[in-house]
Amino acid sequence: MAISKNIYKVLEAIVGPEYISDDPVINESYRSGPGGYENGLGYERVMTTIPGCVILPRTTEEVQKIVKVCYRNEVPYVPYATGFYGPRSHPHVEDALIIDMKRMNDFILDEKHFYVEVGPGMVYSPIQEEAMKHGAYVVIGGGGAQASAIANLLGDGWSPLSHRICLPHRRILGTELVMPDGEIVRMGSLATGDDPFWGEGPGPDLRGLLRGFTGVRGCLGIVTRMAIKTLPFQPERLVPTGISPNTALALPEKRVKWVNFIMPSKKEQVAAMVEIGRAEIAGAVTKVPLFWRAIAKAEDKEHFWELWSKENEQTVANTFIVRVLLIGYTSEEQMEYDEHVLNDIMAELNGKPTRTKPSDESWIKNADSAGMWLMCGGYVSVDYIIETLSQSTEHGPAYADLKKKYTPPLMPDYGDPGWFQSFECGHEGYSEFLIYWDQDDDTNKVDQFYLDTSKMNIKNRFYTSLLGPHQPMYLTGPKYGPNYHLYFLKIKNEFDPKWMSHPPVPLAHDVFVERAPWMHNMKDWESPDDLPK
Amino acid sequence: MSKEPKKELKVRYYKPKADIKLDISDIQNFVYDMSRCIKCKGCHWVDHTYMPGTKFMTRCPSGTKYEFDAYQAAGKMRIGHAMAEGVLDWNDKALEVIYACTLCGACDVGCKRNLDLEVELTLESLRVKAVKDGKGPMPAHKKIADNISKKKNFFAADQKKRTDWMPKGITPAKKADVLYFVGCSASFVNPEIAQSTVKILKSSGTEFMLMPDEECCGNTIFSVGMLDEAREIAKRNVEAMRKTGAKTLLLSCAEGYRMWKVDYPKLMNISTDELGFKVVHLVEFVDELMKAGKLKMKKEFNTRMTYHDSCSLGRLSDKWTPWEGKRGWMGCVEPRLKRRRGTEGLYAQPRNILNAIPGVDLIEMPRTRENTFCCGAGRGTKEAFPELANFAAEHRLEEVKYVGAETLVSSCPWCKNKFAQAVKANGNDVQVLDISEVICASIDA
Repeated sequence: MAISKNIYKVLEAIVGPEYISDDPVINESYRSGPGGYENGLGYERVMTTIPGCVILPRTTEEVQKIVKVCYRNEVPYVPYATGFYGPRSHPHVEDALIIDMKRMNDFILDEKHFYVEVGPGMVYSPIQEEAMKHGAYVVIGGGGAQASAIANLLGDGWSPLSHRICLPHRRILGTELVMPDGEIVRMGSLATGDDPFWGEGPGPDLRGLLRGFTGVRGCLGIVTRMAIKTLPFQPERLVPTGISPNTALALPEKRVKWVNFIMPSKKEQVAAMVEIGRAEIAGAVTKVPLFWRAIAKAEDKEHFWELWSKENEQTVANTFIVRVLLIGYTSEEQMEYDEHVLNDIMAELNGKPTRTKPSDESWIKNADSAGMWLMCGGYVSVDYIIETLSQSTEHGPAYADLKKKYTPPLMPDYGDPGWFQSFECGHEGYSEFLIYWDQDDDTNKVDQFYLDTSKMNIKNRFYTSLLGPHQPMYLTGPKYGPNYHLYFLKIKNEFDPKWMSHPPVPLAHDVFVERAPWMHNMKDWESPDDLPK
Repeated sequence: MSKEPKKELKVRYYKPKADIKLDISDIQNFVYDMSRCIKCKGCHWVDHTYMPGTKFMTRCPSGTKYEFDAYQAAGKMRIGHAMAEGVLDWNDKALEVIYACTLCGACDVGCKRNLDLEVELTLESLRVKAVKDGKGPMPAHKKIADNISKKKNFFAADQKKRTDWMPKGITPAKKADVLYFVGCSASFVNPEIAQSTVKILKSSGTEFMLMPDEECCGNTIFSVGMLDEAREIAKRNVEAMRKTGAKTLLLSCAEGYRMWKVDYPKLMNISTDELGFKVVHLVEFVDELMKAGKLKMKKEFNTRMTYHDSCSLGRLSDKWTPWEGKRGWMGCVEPRLKRRRGTEGLYAQPRNILNAIPGVDLIEMPRTRENTFCCGAGRGTKEAFPELANFAAEHRLEEVKYVGAETLVSSCPWCKNKFAQAVKANGNDVQVLDISEVICASIDA
């Protein structure tokens, strides 16, 4: 149902006329594509549309009122923070209302209890800067410096800085959720007062439902407030240097230092990561794919392709880089001790240190977004695996094999097995596989590859994170449950019986497969006839 | 459920032509750029490295004031793309979105941190399209165009009074290597800037001349998309400059500096180097004189001062080189294109000068150089969207207050005027000066 003038007037009365618009020009600016994460692919072309109206609330109360109006009048809506996460965070049905959360950018830092409290409009890099001013840091990865912290923590959230603390979503404390019917739920200590210092009971604990591993794109409600745990950092300032695009944080080398090592083989690469974790040193430990190194060195995209075209299957297969961030959290002496331990580990494993700049270009305040698109334009992470370190490294080569079948249109990557890193001091290994393509090519095969990865995970029993709405629920549900999809749908129906909050998520990928003719021959699973059309 | 597709599926994205050109007269040259925007919003936020915290987080005045995505470059790229594809028409909102923008270049340098898309040129080209389509510019811009057409200056002032500012005791040479192009603002509204500039020249023993019949540089005409008219002005001015035989064109106005150095060559399809003369701003000139020992800052100025980087002196001032070629797979271009990323901006020179003045305690605002928040005055903004211009200036003054500065210095009369108006309107206790005045006072000219 289109948003009528009457409903528009009611919504306008909630936020004021300057914060709502149904002008086609404003609506067009909220289009998902054509460029960006996962954009230009079939999912974006088939499943997304521009909104019918956009509204910018300032407070939780306004969000509640908006949602109640939508629910009563059957207006589908989509919560939207910064819009970075591609088509899955944009409207999938005609005449939807985008609830743009950017005005809800409140920020409170509780220095004593080591947490920050943010609204969904607050992005990552200011939070990190404020935390560092107070001797702390946060771990919010995913979309990077300019993406909403709440959306990141609900949707992604892994970062190299996860080495010590595991998945950042475990650092979510008190959280406030506006349910699809407009009622409010406060989780953790927020349930009994206004202090969000604690994430567990006595209030309800819906955090698992809200994100699983990779989030549900707002289909179970809208998070309007969240407290995030901060962690002790070292006290010296990381000084910004350079002129864009060549900017970096100069590191106080006696307290913060990156060191890169070339390892003799994958075996030593993994062993080094395990040993570093076991010794409980370092703030980040990650394997760096060779093509990231080419991105970092390249002056522009043409230069990237010059550099990358010099690589081949041999060089990619035989380059094993471990990148370690040492942090003297408590003192210079601790830093020295950690560096000695690191050097002992590397000496035993024949790791050779390479020249490493005394600066941080993109990890500490940016996570991973800058420059990732430089070389082509089309980009998506097709999977995230969280396993043991040894198991997660098996995931990359399996992907590389599958990818060959779909290259082109995927970029030639000479069998690069993705990247992986250590979480929770080596107790977990995180592996991620990125794919790139030219969006002017025929990308149907990219859509097919994306889905084929799910089948490969099922076949190889990789515990993929991209479940829920990120792949067809009726494909993954019976295999990873065996009935998680049915439970998920029951929860959806209970929370949102009218399916007004971001329809048809969580079944959007199931619907996409039905709608896109080039996906039909991929479908070898059963799904009900009454999927949302 | 039906296995039939719900709607006709078709490739709906424009496939860029192989041949492209950095030519703003045709929006089709920028469809690739518009179609590759990823909504990272690097155009809107301060570079993460320099992100100062939860205060002063953004660098886009338009996006900061109006808040809808449409007003950030990411939104404009989508709107422009839809227009270029012919699926979205002009309406009042579209004109507002395209023109309520300072064209300050913050989005361009932000994008070139991540994606290297030609955002600034795209935004300029959208304005050209608006004019070509008979929709632009805004009425206030047409009035200025009329002023310039009839009176040869922005303010419709009497051209005969253009040099009335000249201080007694200073006489320009008939012929000299250095030609001071005064600009409309310093000629009619800010005589103190013109007077300070020529006093500095005199003190350093620099012989200078003026343009025989100086007329407006055409900054606003160009900036609002009136390309044909701007090109005529560019040709006339460049021709007049060449005729004088002067080797250096000196400006005290950042907007004029950008026009001469970047946009005239752009309009004439030549490189900056092909102009046949050097274009320099006063801050470059004085910095060189100081380094050569020909000028010394002597007189004390005891103040806590901060410096505002004018957009056209900083991120918008990289030299122009015409480029055309082919775009191929993955968007790579040949021949190799040296992207203009704002790295050649005059960031160090004004700071060298101000730091050399005894007594000056120069403190930086959280957003500086390529991350600077525009004053809101330039490129047709304050005439057509005064509320945006006021917002931008007041927002920037918050930053001045935040660092506790008593004196705010910039290198452009447009910045000075906008800040001075905002200070007056809001009763702020901040002294606003142009750098030429500060230099002049310190050398005791």
